[in-house]
Amino acid sequence: MGEGLAIIGIGEVPTAIMPERSRWDILYEICLQAVRNAGIDKNDIEGVITVAPQAQPRLSAEISFGKLPEELGLKGCRDVCICNAGGASTSNCIRMAEQWIESGLARIVLIPHVTVHSSIPLEDLINFFATAGIDLQWEYPFGTTYNGILAMMTRRYMYETGTTEEEMASVVVALRKWATLDPNSFFYGKEVPTIEKVLSSGMVSSPLHKRECNILADGGGALVVTSRKLAAQITSTPVYKLGESARFFSAFTMTRDNDVVGEGFRDATHEALDQAGLSKKEIDIWNIYLAYPVGHPMLMESIGLCEKGQAGKFFREGHTWPGGSLPWSTIGDAIGRGHTGSGVSMATYVETARQLMGQAGQRQVKEAQYVFQNTSGGSGMNFIATVWGREIP
Amino acid sequence: MTSEYIKPIPIIQTWTEQFWKAAKEHKLLIQVCEDCQTRIFYPKKVCPECWSSNLTWEEASGKGKVYSFSVMQDMVEPKFWADIPYVLAMVDLEEGIRLMTRIVACDPEAVEIDMEVEVVFEDITKDCALPFFKPAA
Repeated sequence: MGEGLAIIGIGEVPTAIMPERSRWDILYEICLQAVRNAGIDKNDIEGVITVAPQAQPRLSAEISFGKLPEELGLKGCRDVCICNAGGASTSNCIRMAEQWIESGLARIVLIPHVTVHSSIPLEDLINFFATAGIDLQWEYPFGTTYNGILAMMTRRYMYETGTTEEEMASVVVALRKWATLDPNSFFYGKEVPTIEKVLSSGMVSSPLHKRECNILADGGGALVVTSRKLAAQITSTPVYKLGESARFFSAFTMTRDNDVVGEGFRDATHEALDQAGLSKKEIDIWNIYLAYPVGHPMLMESIGLCEKGQAGKFFREGHTWPGGSLPWSTIGDAIGRGHTGSGVSMATYVETARQLMGQAGQRQVKEAQYVFQNTSGGSGMNFIATVWGREIP
Repeated sequence: MTSEYIKPIPIIQTWTEQFWKAAKEHKLLIQVCEDCQTRIFYPKKVCPECWSSNLTWEEASGKGKVYSFSVMQDMVEPKFWADIPYVLAMVDLEEGIRLMTRIVACDPEAVEIDMEVEVVFEDITKDCALPFFKPAA
């Protein structure tokens, strides 16, 4: 992996529905925070690689053509770029930063993300989300929606494993347990629903109830990354990238099999752990981003953290809650955070770093040394597994 | 009927025209590669297995089983509101391919995984029909 990469600074604004908070308000806030958190000067930033804003064409054009270093006066900036892989965009920004750093193009890179859903005209929002990862010829004319395809995956998973609707609802409970402790969550300080409340929240697309679906919200986050070597000189809390692997499945749900996804989860996870030189037992936090509840038990079973059909029970028993034996999705995934387009993957990376820097407040997992984190894009087109650590094992 | 249809119509490519032409005549076609005999869904410009351009069509039996489904009840686009509740489904055809479709002509509560179904075409405009499925006779 050559010199390798480390996160040295993080910034984030609360996820909320706040149309009065503009995209550039958020960009200023997160970039200033991340640079200050890293303890560097703004002119030390030598590259800016931004997560492609989804469904925000004007902002997308502004950022593609260099407005960010201009606004922030990043006088040391040598180049800019935007990366788009939907919900997996942040992973690609990090990969590209790694390449810029290893090649010597840039020593320190800033990676921002912003999404403001609440000021996008409803029609544009629908047009974008109805057709991102849903085929216009073979899926959309039948009335296919994101909730619908995830509902079908959920039903199939429940059928194959015997997982009950109470167990599925308990995944939401577990995610919201973390979210209520997170000042940047849409659900911060809000009452955590019981299983009964999740199941009585009204059916959207059976078997998915309202509380098992996502709320679209606005948010943003940023990372400052550099080489491992420089990170150790700049900060006392570097967060090292230790391993990575990925699998692509398919663009569309109709051409994707639960079994193939399960195998991909398993193989990519083990490859990333092997590269890090770690075993599953050494992972202190599983920071999972799969957007809907069903991915969580599927992943837990696929990677062998419990037997097939047992994950629902495991979530229900509370093992993944704050204080539990298997800290899991410590911002509560998109269900707990509020869905910010391509932003929940950024929020998950920010949280991975925050935990390993010891800055996670009430959610801090004591002595967290190693974190496994994933991202995924589109309707679940791929699975990117990464391993991060406070130290290099 | 044509002027009133507000729901999305399939966006057709030159190499999928045959499929939709047949659908209009209430026939369900499967694209087949003449070189490696792969049954291809959804239809492509070249075979996704061997990149051959020797592609042809065979008529499907129209019989299959429900792989999974969802009864859509809320949070769909306004253009689908009139259809609620509707059963969105993935159906595995006997020929070994899976399509996105709807299950119609039965109580949504009666639909089950593995239920045997058969194709039934819904004429949505004068030029286009969608392959839906109903419980097998």
